[in-house]
Amino acid sequence: MSAKPGKIFIDNLWFNNPVLIQVLGICSTLAVTNNVRNTLVMTVGVSLATAFSSWTLSLMKDLIPRKVRMIVQVLVISFYVILIDILLRAYLPDASRQLGPYVGLIITNCIIMGRAEAFAAANKPLISFWDGLTSGIGYMAVLVAIALVRELLGFGSVLGFRVMPEGFVPWTIMITAPSAFFLVAMVMWLARNLQARREAAAKAAKAAKAAPKPAAGPSPAKA
Amino acid sequence: MDFEFFTMNPIALFFASIFTSNILMSNFLGMCSFISVSKDYKSSFGLGLAVTVVMTITAAVSWVVLYYILVPLGLEYLSFIVFIIVIAAVVQILEMVIDRASPALYLSLGIFLPLITVNCAILGAILFMQIRQYGFIESTVFAAGSGLGWWLAIMLLAAIRGRIENNPVPAGLKGAGITMITIGFMAMGFIGFSGMIAVQ
Amino acid sequence: MSPYLLGPLVVSGITAVLALLIALTDRVVNNYGTVVIDINKGKKRYEVKGGAPLLGTLASEKLFIPSACGGRGSCGACKCKVTSEVGPVLPTELPYLSKEELADGQRLACQIKLKKDISIEVPEELFSVKRFEATVSSIRDLTYDIKEVTYTLEDPAEIEFIPGQYVQIVVPPYGDLDEEVQRAYSMSSKPGDKGKVELLIRLVPGGIATTWVHRHLKQGQKARLVGPFGEFRVHDTGATMLCVAGGSGMAPFWSMLRHMEAENAHPGKDVWYFFGARSLKDMFYLDELRALEKRMPRFHFVPALSEPAPEDKWTGETGLITDVLDRFIKERIPKEKGFEGYLCGSPGMINACIAVMTKNGVAEKDIFFDKFA
Repeated sequence: MSAKPGKIFIDNLWFNNPVLIQVLGICSTLAVTNNVRNTLVMTVGVSLATAFSSWTLSLMKDLIPRKVRMIVQVLVISFYVILIDILLRAYLPDASRQLGPYVGLIITNCIIMGRAEAFAAANKPLISFWDGLTSGIGYMAVLVAIALVRELLGFGSVLGFRVMPEGFVPWTIMITAPSAFFLVAMVMWLARNLQARREAAAKAAKAAKAAPKPAAGPSPAKA
Repeated sequence: MDFEFFTMNPIALFFASIFTSNILMSNFLGMCSFISVSKDYKSSFGLGLAVTVVMTITAAVSWVVLYYILVPLGLEYLSFIVFIIVIAAVVQILEMVIDRASPALYLSLGIFLPLITVNCAILGAILFMQIRQYGFIESTVFAAGSGLGWWLAIMLLAAIRGRIENNPVPAGLKGAGITMITIGFMAMGFIGFSGMIAVQ
Repeated sequence: MSPYLLGPLVVSGITAVLALLIALTDRVVNNYGTVVIDINKGKKRYEVKGGAPLLGTLASEKLFIPSACGGRGSCGACKCKVTSEVGPVLPTELPYLSKEELADGQRLACQIKLKKDISIEVPEELFSVKRFEATVSSIRDLTYDIKEVTYTLEDPAEIEFIPGQYVQIVVPPYGDLDEEVQRAYSMSSKPGDKGKVELLIRLVPGGIATTWVHRHLKQGQKARLVGPFGEFRVHDTGATMLCVAGGSGMAPFWSMLRHMEAENAHPGKDVWYFFGARSLKDMFYLDELRALEKRMPRFHFVPALSEPAPEDKWTGETGLITDVLDRFIKERIPKEKGFEGYLCGSPGMINACIAVMTKNGVAEKDIFFDKFA
């Protein structure tokens, strides 16, 4: 895989978005997106955890025997998540309390494991850090988008600031679980449609370039 | 030990954890394997069973380790790592025992065990137990209930997916998309339980 | 105690206790006692410690079922027929077993755990398969991508085989390869040279074993071989042999020809060997084969180049080997004794040659091929 930073960024943000395309990290996606501030805190945490874990694991990759690879990955990830949890509890106690167990659950977030396995295990430390960070950013983009809709329509505010007019009746469903599922489905639909359309256009362009082939008779040598 | 524990009628807690605070429908935990395995009804049964068993055992063991080792020594900040290690160990031992006890059971359940080690639902249940400061009985009951709730949810989803399998679904929604919407409706259904009992 | 010390200590302590628990459970749970393996209805019986996979256990009893992946369930080479009850077929076995094989009781030996007594049936020749410790006595370049590798056998010191059979070379972990694998190569040495094994190995880009041989193997190095295996051999009829092979596919034929000369094996059988290549740089043993042709009147050597380079100054046959074969069968080779086809090469080449031979009246049952290369 060519490790060009620009390509990795675009891939992780759009073409191979962890949430929309790879369908990873869904658990936390749904749980914390009912307000934007918590979402930002969470996604920054995940991005940093992924980045640093990938970086560390890439540094260590030649030292880890195959049999204990998974355990070491989990331990490294736990280490960074504990750090993040402690920092949150000290500096953003409200957010920490509201996020509750979901901070600890970053450890089991499939995105981090996935990047560690798929990228850090085979690439250099710095580019692994970048890959982890951009995966986190791709994750962040989707979650913030969903959170914006949910908080706006569920509370009438964004980041705590009242945005909707006084008479606005909040959509309670936006605060509850189901809305998260529906919104994720919507965004997935949009993303996949756009990508499919772009692929179809590219394929059509390619086919138009190729010369038409004559009808092939039975070939003499069986393949 | 002078720890302030949250106590509750175990039976009420049991039902609450299955229905009103279903760990999957209300707390969104355990989604990844939920989505991928619910394609097949039989596998869903095996996975649900595995999750329930592992959740209950690990919750019990983690509780003991947490309140008899970590807290007295002031090491609660290390609980994440310790919980993960406990989960991995329990899963490993369970896999060996099941393989020996019943190869048939191992075929339907055992192959999922390595998958569960990083299933957020297991760790999630334990973290909830820690945050809500459940006592030992409450923790075990809560974990068992959560597992059963998860099992129930995945069976339901597998059944629904089986039904809608041959229905025309827009291309962009195929697979994960329509599953999300289905779960959304299921979640709405489960909200209907919320008047019943509270878990805290 | 300092909190910096206490934390890691407690975590390590808990981990240690749990690891101990796992080890203990493993001892208790995976203790299957002694298990009896019955082979070929009592022909051989082994009493072994249970719990391990069949493939590995048999290997430690010096019975080697062929395997390319070393027991990891990724090659399907270790099929054997199980005649006792051994549990349901595992999902890891299904990709490699056809419906007929399953109905016949065929299973993958690397996926069967020995939990109780078992009876199996294996081909008789497996009993003569041994694992050899050897030393590489020479590595010679024949062309830019084919090496001739000769092994001197140490323990056991001699090998008995039929020309056309193959051995598995054991490739140890190297570079990116974490675990040992085995790969099959036909022997080009003749059975009369019991103390050595000669192989022709062509470098396949990205190939695990061929890369090891071409880039890492050195003269004087120790190596392990397992064999002999295979049913590709000269059939003892009067029919004329039509042999087609290119590159390293020549190995089995080189063995057969030298054996025929040395022992006058299969007297009265004529052999026509069609050796196809692109240009002269892909050819080797030309002098040796021509010399053999002079010494053995019943052997006819037909090398053919499909794209001879001008500097080759090639005066032999040109064109695709299948076309040359076709022409010779029609015009040059006496038909009275009937024909048998022997093929060694890629699936594409084999299929093309089968087509030519059947078109010229050779029955499919009289065409034999070596499935490697």
